[in-house]
Amino acid sequence: MSATLTVSPAAASTATNPHTARPSFIGLVRGEFLKVSRQLTTWLMLLALAGVVVLPFLIALTVGNLKADIQAEPLADLYRFMGQGLTILRVFSGPVLIIVTARLIGMEYSSGTIRVLLGRGVGRIQLLAAKLLTVFLIAAAILAAGMLLEYALSLFVLRAVTGNLDALKAINGTFWADTRVYVATVAISMAVTILMAAAITVVARSLAGGLSASIAWFPADNIGLVFFILANLLTKSDFWLLVTGDLLGPNLNAMPRALLSAQAPGSATRVLEGPLVPVDGGHTLLVSAIYAAIFLAVAVVLTWRRDVKE
Amino acid sequence: MTATAPAAHRAATAPRGDEIVLRTRDLTKQYGKRLAVDRLNIEVRRGEIFGFLGPNGAGKTTTIRMALGLIAPTSGSVEILGGDIATHRATILPRVGALVETPALYLYMSGRDNLRAVAAVLGGVPEARMDAVLDLVGLRARARDRVKTYSLGMKQRLGVAIALLQDPDLLVLDEPANGLDPAGIVEMRDLLRRLAAEGKTVFISSHVLTEVRQICTRVAIVNLGRLVTESTVEDLVRGSGDFTVTVERAADALALVRAQPWGRGARLDGDGTLITPAPNNRGRELTRFLVDAGFVPDSLAPRAQDLEEVFLRLTDNGNGVAK
Ligand SMILES: Nc1ncnc2c1ncn2[C@@H]1O[C@H](COP(=O)(O)OP(=O)(O)OP(=O)(O)O)[C@@H](O)[C@H]1O
Ligand SMILES: [Mg+2]
Repeated sequence: MSATLTVSPAAASTATNPHTARPSFIGLVRGEFLKVSRQLTTWLMLLALAGVVVLPFLIALTVGNLKADIQAEPLADLYRFMGQGLTILRVFSGPVLIIVTARLIGMEYSSGTIRVLLGRGVGRIQLLAAKLLTVFLIAAAILAAGMLLEYALSLFVLRAVTGNLDALKAINGTFWADTRVYVATVAISMAVTILMAAAITVVARSLAGGLSASIAWFPADNIGLVFFILANLLTKSDFWLLVTGDLLGPNLNAMPRALLSAQAPGSATRVLEGPLVPVDGGHTLLVSAIYAAIFLAVAVVLTWRRDVKE
Repeated sequence: MTATAPAAHRAATAPRGDEIVLRTRDLTKQYGKRLAVDRLNIEVRRGEIFGFLGPNGAGKTTTIRMALGLIAPTSGSVEILGGDIATHRATILPRVGALVETPALYLYMSGRDNLRAVAAVLGGVPEARMDAVLDLVGLRARARDRVKTYSLGMKQRLGVAIALLQDPDLLVLDEPANGLDPAGIVEMRDLLRRLAAEGKTVFISSHVLTEVRQICTRVAIVNLGRLVTESTVEDLVRGSGDFTVTVERAADALALVRAQPWGRGARLDGDGTLITPAPNNRGRELTRFLVDAGFVPDSLAPRAQDLEEVFLRLTDNGNGVAK
């Protein structure tokens, strides 16, 4: 607090004029990006995600009969590349997005900085919206970069294994349509995941609470399937199986299979278990939409109504 | 680059002393059955350094949180810079700089990035302004270090820097001296005085009464959520109208004075000084009375009360939380 310096901005004309300054949504989003980018773990997680994306392609290179496979049934193998790649993006981007979301929202409560931001005149919903937009943009970037990487890797593997890119000639319109649908299911899954982490962290209003509870969600409802099977066996009631038709995780798992064309081989889409009752594409979409709406409503209403005592 | 230019400018547009910068109207906050703030009415004028005093749990922080729109009042309202905070947060609060309780900071980021992150919210400030506030709080040299590595006082300074970042008209500081070393406290005091001289208004809550006495022009004392008194510091400590008299044979003088109708409250303090009211509250009449009675005082002066004494008396020995 040196006494030699002036208190007011040196050049008032170049500074934001505080008498007209208003909370700025773009500014908020920029601030959120600053916070995310300064977290070393954000970058480490993205690096790890890239590693997980690359890994199956490296393994593919070492599989002996891949060349014969590709030459015999090129379309099936391309479907497998696409399906595997997107499934990996979907499953492994989940924890990354959960951690980024929970941190971005939770740290404001845990460090009390929410009172600094709101004390500047920022609206609560405005702040939440800026945070959600930031994570959605990050998710979109992960999806775009991941797909680009997988496309390049696919070409690389085809080239390396067969010596040419002839397999691509097997691609038909349905393949691209299926790819678009698959990408859409990944995007939906990412969006619901972000909203889930946001809602839970807003409820918990702490970094540790929000992070641990939201990271546990998908393991819980996937592993939960086992308990529903047991309950079904013990009580002989189909009710337990029907309930699984409404679990979020299994529905997200089942969504690609349920929406893709018949041309897509099952091996391209089956990774994690779906519900224990058959569900169609419309059902998986509806269930996801309902969960998303509930998560969003919880996050918005609590953020809006609650006193900030942090 | 002078501090006087903006002061002159503001003085022209808003003469100090007239404009009410912060006003609470029957402000009330109830938590369950407890009234944390109870029908509080205070007025803070432009250019003042206003002290908000009260024992622990008196409701100071709760009041500040309501003023910043962080918590909703149960009833009543807060007006800042002429607008109701409940309806005009987005236009009023950018003109208010605040430090509530302990400074809230992003510990994993550098001091400068903390300023950036907060500034971004209002569209950002130039780097030069960040340098200026960092200089102002003496943190320029450590601005690149992570806040995690800062001492308590350094965090407090950064909190003040954040409050000052956008050149606020009203500065609201909750216990600003918290964690500061003596030099830091002196610097803070100078800083607040200069801000007030520029036409800015400073609202500080504090327990440190000597501190308040030195810088505040007016104070409000609260206890158990209620306003006990709001006045200038001089009026508060001028208080009783007692006089301090050093005189030989003080005990005899005391006996005589106590026999007078105006002198029943007279007493001796620890070192044998006579403390007494005066006839008609006038020092001159007291002097005459004593001289006529043969007690010629070595000295006689109106007694300034200790702010601490006043505070303890008004807040029932600072027993806020106990009830
Ligand atoms: N979130 C809360 N829930 C319930 N009661 C609360 C809450 N926050 C504050 N209070 C109560 O409100 C009263 C006023 O608290 P406040 O923090 O405003 O006091 P303060 O004057 O700032 O005290 P201090 O000098 O200790 O900072 C206290 O009795 C406190 O217990
Ligand atoms: Mg307090």
